[in-house]
Amino acid sequence: MTVLLRQAFVVLIKELRDAIRDRRAMSSVLLGVVIGPAIAGFLMNRVADRQRSADEVRIPIVGAEHAPALVEWLRQQAGVEVVPGPEDPERAVREETEYVVAVIPPEFAERFRASRPAPIRLVTDGSRNDTRPQVERVRRLFMQYGSEIGALRLIGRGVSPAVASPLELSDVEVSTAQQRAGRILSIIPLMVLISAFTGAMQIATDSTAGERERGSLEALLLNPVPATALALGKCLAAALVAMLMVSLAATLCGAILLFVPLEEMGLRFRFGAPHLLGMLAAMWPLCLLTAALQACIATLARSFKEAQSYMGILMILPMLLGLAGALYPIDNQPWMYGVPILGQYVLLTNVIGGHPPGALAFLAAGAAAVAGAAVFLRVMVALFTSERVIFGR
Amino acid sequence: MITATALRKQFGDKTAVDGVSFVARDGEVTGLLGPNGAGKTTTLRMLYGVLRPDAGRIQVDDVDALDAPLQARARLGVLPDINGLYPRLTAWEHIKYFGQLQGLDQATIARRGERLVEQLDMKALAHRRTAGFSHGERAKVALARALVHAPQNVLLDEPTNGLDVMSTRAVREIVRRLRGEGRCVLFSSHVMQEVSALCDAIVVIAHGRVVAQGTADDLRALTGHASLEDAFVALAGPDSRETP
Repeated sequence: MTVLLRQAFVVLIKELRDAIRDRRAMSSVLLGVVIGPAIAGFLMNRVADRQRSADEVRIPIVGAEHAPALVEWLRQQAGVEVVPGPEDPERAVREETEYVVAVIPPEFAERFRASRPAPIRLVTDGSRNDTRPQVERVRRLFMQYGSEIGALRLIGRGVSPAVASPLELSDVEVSTAQQRAGRILSIIPLMVLISAFTGAMQIATDSTAGERERGSLEALLLNPVPATALALGKCLAAALVAMLMVSLAATLCGAILLFVPLEEMGLRFRFGAPHLLGMLAAMWPLCLLTAALQACIATLARSFKEAQSYMGILMILPMLLGLAGALYPIDNQPWMYGVPILGQYVLLTNVIGGHPPGALAFLAAGAAAVAGAAVFLRVMVALFTSERVIFGR
Repeated sequence: MITATALRKQFGDKTAVDGVSFVARDGEVTGLLGPNGAGKTTTLRMLYGVLRPDAGRIQVDDVDALDAPLQARARLGVLPDINGLYPRLTAWEHIKYFGQLQGLDQATIARRGERLVEQLDMKALAHRRTAGFSHGERAKVALARALVHAPQNVLLDEPTNGLDVMSTRAVREIVRRLRGEGRCVLFSSHVMQEVSALCDAIVVIAHGRVVAQGTADDLRALTGHASLEDAFVALAGPDSRETP
């Protein structure tokens, strides 16, 4: 047993050294792991930016002199800046020099005084998504002024303002802030899951299909080393890189979450060490499985190219899961922890969602992944000793 | 010493090796001579254990190679038909990797590696990555990694195939040195001059069978031809089955 492990270790070191020197493949793996969190961070920052900019709005007003009281009220609201409007409001909005212009026509003052609906035109461009929250805020400000004035008028006439509000509509949010965060952050489990595949891919293909295609497999098999040691060393090397990439992806996601102002998005979620540890505890055992699965399939492939195309197909597995998770929010069933990949996905989602399951769930998912890895390793050993595979027939 | 007894190997309905028996002795160079497709590589692959014979026995020194393949492999140094290298590893790292897989300690690997690097005249390449090595340089690396564990028996599958004169000489030098050390060297070739220049014993294979064996003189006497090449054509030619 110790001899076997020592031999596997020799193979592992060699495969790692070989892989690290493959700069091009290594950097494409790194890029694949880094780019997902980077894009997600960028997108979340944009959402937060928009949210933030809606808190501070600048309202260009044409004809402010016709409604001095309204303009004064607007000025007193927090985060509102009133500026004189442009000459041609519609052109300014169309050409995007302004996102909104409020036009107060001359008849406003007269109709307002007569307690008749006083016209205000809001010039906006409905096709712009980026300024929608600000436009929404501006519209709400005007409506708020309108209902305040309306209430005052009713009181002035001896009528309770409540009469004019037959409905009292209020939103009851049932999801906790953490759960909402979890939904928005649901892209993170997917990215971490995928990095377990991309991380193992290079060694899994290069040390099997690549080794045979270069013609070094036969020479390797001539050493007095059982095929189990060779397969184990190769799988462990691939799994180690996968673990490294998973850790990198999880850390990057965490780092990005620290920079994204989640609070401003209405999400009370702080990414911390427990989340990172939870993700790693869920994912490291899975790396053994992705490595063994990919190495096994690459050994079966007739050429390096064929192996690579199989790896592409395998990547669809976690992606499908992510898609299904987004379309049908997964309700946690205990059996899910026993299904490798799905179990890890559920674990990650729950860790990020702020209610991690007990240690038993982690153990079950880990054990299922390790058992799966053992099966694929066994198949790979059988393939390594088969004449058809050695000579690529 | 390697003893092959009645080896047989079938691929589909084609019989590649059909009852091959011979002995390669210690302190001798045994040549496996035969035309392309005669079954030389298949025979060697069975001897070094990547193909399992359908029938027959293989003895490496006192080890039954079919019962204890790992033990047999430890006694063999092999230059296979296809000897690909790892392009991102240096020549020295190849020697070290195989030495470690053979279970040697660092000091032994260093000592034997140094000596092989010197014998094969590859000092200049030892610490370069093998990507871009010439055919001859690649063969030297493959030979060095195959010999790092100082095996008693050495199998070489067409070792000089495609090599230039200088590299061919280096390989022949190694073969003679191994014989001088009392090792058993078995190598396959279809090049007559090489076999006659190097071998103490010749096994002629054609159509998966041993059609003759003995020294070069034996073969000449057997066929009645003055040149070994004529003898070989007579033995291994299309109508060789009638000749013996």
